[in-house]
Amino acid sequence: MTEALQAATAPKLEIRHLRKAFGALVATNDVNIQVRPGEIHALIGPNGAGKTTLISQISGELMPDSGQVLLDGQDITRLPAHKRASVGLARSFQISQLYNDFTAEDNVALAVQAQSAKRFDMFSAARKQMDLREPARKALEQVGLAERGNLRVSELAHGEKRQLELAIALSLNASVLLLDEPMAGLGAEESQRMKDILLELKGQYAILLVEHDMDIVFALADRITVLVYGKPIFTGTPDEVRGNSDVRDAYLGREE
Amino acid sequence: MTRKNIVIILIFALLLVLPLVANGLNNSFLINMGTQFVIYALAAISLDLVLGYGAMVSFGHAAFFGLGGYVVGIVAYHMGMGETVFGWAGSESALVMWPLAMLAAALTGLVMGFLSLRTSGVQFIMITLAFAQMLYFVLVGLVTYGGDDGMSVTSRNLIPGVNMDDPSIFYYVCLALMTLWVVLCRRIVNSPFGMVLRGFQQNERRNVNLGYAPMRYKLTAFVISAAGAGLAGALWANYALYVSPDMASWLKSGTLMAMIVLGGMGTIYGSILGAAVYLGLEQALTAWTENWMLFLGPVLILVVLFSKRGLFGWLAGRNSHD
Repeated sequence: MTEALQAATAPKLEIRHLRKAFGALVATNDVNIQVRPGEIHALIGPNGAGKTTLISQISGELMPDSGQVLLDGQDITRLPAHKRASVGLARSFQISQLYNDFTAEDNVALAVQAQSAKRFDMFSAARKQMDLREPARKALEQVGLAERGNLRVSELAHGEKRQLELAIALSLNASVLLLDEPMAGLGAEESQRMKDILLELKGQYAILLVEHDMDIVFALADRITVLVYGKPIFTGTPDEVRGNSDVRDAYLGREE
Repeated sequence: MTRKNIVIILIFALLLVLPLVANGLNNSFLINMGTQFVIYALAAISLDLVLGYGAMVSFGHAAFFGLGGYVVGIVAYHMGMGETVFGWAGSESALVMWPLAMLAAALTGLVMGFLSLRTSGVQFIMITLAFAQMLYFVLVGLVTYGGDDGMSVTSRNLIPGVNMDDPSIFYYVCLALMTLWVVLCRRIVNSPFGMVLRGFQQNERRNVNLGYAPMRYKLTAFVISAAGAGLAGALWANYALYVSPDMASWLKSGTLMAMIVLGGMGTIYGSILGAAVYLGLEQALTAWTENWMLFLGPVLILVVLFSKRGLFGWLAGRNSHD
C-alpha cells in the first residue's frame, strides 16, 4: 500500500478493524478500508465473500460486533440507519429497493424530500412541490431516465430500475456513495451505459463500489480491495491487483 | 372530468339528498340508517389512513371508538347527577365534548402506537388487538357506568343554534364532520408526509435508508387515526344515546376492517361505500335470517378476488389510491 499518499489525503470514509460474525461464520473479519475523497474504491471478491454484509454495516442496517466506521473522521458505527443519509452517506442496493406503486419521479422526489424542510409537511400537495420535483427530474436526466419519470416503477424495465436506484442515491446530497452491484442483471449495452454514468460521477463523490464485472472494475476503480471469506487479502491499484499472485489464485484465476 | 371524480361527486350527492328523500317518503328509518353509515364511515376512514396507506393493520381501532363514546357517556352520566366534570360549564357542549373525546382517543393512540409500532406484521395485529381487549375489559369492569350492560346517555351534546334532536339536522352534522375528515385525510395522504407514510407501506427498507425514521411518521398517522375513530365513537354515543363495552370489542374492530376491504383499502372514499354496503347488507339480510354473515362472507371474497381496491376501485378505476 502507498503509505505516503494515504497520509496526504484524509480518507472520506474509513473502516477500521470491522468484524461481524453470524454464529460460527465470520462474514466480516478484521476489515480495514479507506475511501479517499473523489476516489472510486472497488470491492471485489467471490460470491459469499461478505461484500454486501460489509456495505450493510456501513449503511447501518447491520451492527458490527466490533470495529469502527468513520465518516470524515467522525465515528458513525452506532448511528441508526435513518440518520446516516443526513451525514452524507447514500446507498444503492444490489436488489433494487424501490417504491413499486409510485412513479419513477415520485421515487426520486422522496429522496429529495428526505433532505428538505418539507419532510413532515402534512397539508401541501406533494406532487406540486417544485422544489422537490425539479431536483428529482434533474437526477432522472442525469441517469438517462428523463423520459420515463411518469411511469410507475412496476412498468419500468430491469435496467431502468437500476438507473433509478442510482438516481435515488444521487439525490441524497451525499458525499459518499455505497453502490452495491449497480450493474447486477444488466445486459452488455445497459452495463456500458451505467459505466458511462459512473465515469461521469467520478471525482464528485467518494464511491465504494461492489462489482462483479472485472472489465468495469478495472476501467472505473482507482483502487481495489479484494475480499475473500470476509477478509481483505489485498488492496491496491488495478495494475497492482492484476499483478498480485494471491489475488489471481483466490479469485481472478479461478473465475476466468 | 375523470371517472373517479364522478364517482366521488355521486357518493356525496347521494349522501346530501338522503334526508330529503327520507322526509319525502316520511321514512325516518332511512335517516337513521344514513346516520349510522356516516358515523361508521368516519371510523373506517380513520382506520384506512393507517391500514391502507401505512400498512399498519390495527386490529384495535374499536378501542378508540369505544373510548370516544364513553367520554361522552361518562360526562353525560355525571351531568345527570347534577355534577359537571372538573366544574366545567361546557360539559354538555359538543364543541367541548367532541374534541375531548378525540383528545382522549389520540392520547391512548399515542401510548398504544408507541408500544405497538415496535413490532410489525402479525405481531402488530396481535398487540393492537390485545390493547383493545384490555380497554374492553376495563369498560366491562366500570360497574358505576353500567359494566357489561353499558349505560344510556340522557341527551345529545349541544351546538348553539342547532337542534341536535332533529334526526335530519343531526345527520347533516355527522355528514359535515365526516366530509371534513375525508378532506383532511385526502390532504394528508397526498402531502409530503403522506408520501413518506406510503413509502413505509411499499418499501420500509428504502425509506429508512433515505433517512426517514419509521416511528415518527407511523406514530403521527396512528394518533390522527385514533382521534378520528374517537370522534366517530362520540357521534355514535350521541346518535344511539347509549354506550356499551361492545363498542370497543374486537368484533367492532373486525367490522371496521371488513368495511374497508369491501369499500376499497387505501382509497379513503371507499370506506364510505364499505360502511354503507356493510350496514345495508346487515339490515336487509337480518330481516330474514340471523346468520346474515353467511352472505357477507362470499360478497367479501368476491370483492377481494375481483378488485384490488374494493368497490371504490372497481367504480373509480386505476387511480383510486391517489
